[in-house]
Amino acid sequence: MPTSLDASATDEELMDAYIDGDDAAFRLLFERYAPILLRLTRRHLRSEELAEEIVQQTFFRVHGARNDFRRGSKLRPWVMTIAMNLVREHWRRKKRRKVTTLEVETQAAPEAEFMPIEIRQRSQLLHEALEKLPTSQREVVELHWFQERPYAEVAKIVGTSEGAVRVRAHRAYATLKQLLVSEIRGEE
Amino acid sequence: MTSGEDIAGPDPGLGERLRELEAGEFPADGALMDRMFSELKTECEKSDKSLIGYLRSRSTMARRAIILIVFTGLGVFALLKLPMVEESMRDTSWVGTLIAFLVLLVVAMMVVTRPVHRPELPRWQIVCLVCFAVGATVIAAFIPGSSAHAATHQHASGVMAGICMGFGILLGIPVYAVLRLVDRGNAFGSLVAAAAAGLAGNLLLKAHCAIDTTSHVLLGHASVAVLFVVGLGLVHRLIPSK
Repeated sequence: MPTSLDASATDEELMDAYIDGDDAAFRLLFERYAPILLRLTRRHLRSEELAEEIVQQTFFRVHGARNDFRRGSKLRPWVMTIAMNLVREHWRRKKRRKVTTLEVETQAAPEAEFMPIEIRQRSQLLHEALEKLPTSQREVVELHWFQERPYAEVAKIVGTSEGAVRVRAHRAYATLKQLLVSEIRGEE
Repeated sequence: MTSGEDIAGPDPGLGERLRELEAGEFPADGALMDRMFSELKTECEKSDKSLIGYLRSRSTMARRAIILIVFTGLGVFALLKLPMVEESMRDTSWVGTLIAFLVLLVVAMMVVTRPVHRPELPRWQIVCLVCFAVGATVIAAFIPGSSAHAATHQHASGVMAGICMGFGILLGIPVYAVLRLVDRGNAFGSLVAAAAAGLAGNLLLKAHCAIDTTSHVLLGHASVAVLFVVGLGLVHRLIPSK
């Protein structure tokens, strides 16, 4: 079914159209959000396959929960919350199944063959630094820095107060600074 | 990357470094997006064709209404087909216990049907809810009942406890089933649904069973909640869902 909306339509307009049965709007939403979510999940999970699965699951849940979307509300925090819930669920199940963290740690960061070594190393460095953060801090950095969400929205997504989010962010940035910036100064 | 007044984020040095490192993240290509979307579309279509998919894609209000209809149906069935306890037994503690079970059952139902776009509840809250649910059924066994009735039902307590347990489990199964049918996959949904099933069984037994001795309530009533939670908990631990 071709959508009456074009690429200039807002996320919310597309979602409204999708709720009204416009399948093409779902495709447009996927094209907009899947790359963002893929980057998010790759950074969190460090597994290409898992990241893809979580992104698909997120959209599957968006599809299933579409009737809960309130017209007039923002779509981005809605989708992000679903994705973050799935990431957390994944870690919890992983822990429950007693799969050693070693398996996760030894997984290489997602890499593209065609990338220069230096860029790949940078990516690896970033992944390693983020991995040293507790999950609660990592998800705040992910949403605040990488996804450019304001603290109020991050708080809504992770289900805590804005104050708590600011504290987590402050601690996370301090740790990252120590890991990423001090290391360069040390080299110099 | 982040901009605006909201930033009390990383200092410029770290910001610059993060930007530099993030450049190493590779973008998603079109072919990958196409494949992912096509797989997703297949899953969505498959789900839309199934009853479970249909029920789960209803709005949260609708899903809760479905549960309430099923609960009401079960309640009416129990009211019409099973005799209520004698009026002399319907004291304050009896009413209080029923209300406590009912409140916990409603809370469990709300947790199971919690919309997936809301942040999931902390694990400790879920654990507390399940403990309260099972704990309430155990505590109910120690609430002193009518001594006159206790004296008249001393015989064959093991058999009576078995019958009560059977009834409780029979009622709990449809409650568990309906909760799972509308559960969109919340964390610990199965465990909370199991606790709700145990509570529903206990609610029915409390309303209809005239034996209120501690041993009978423990063996015949509270065991229903324990069996549901422990049994289904083990099943899900051994056979993890996809």
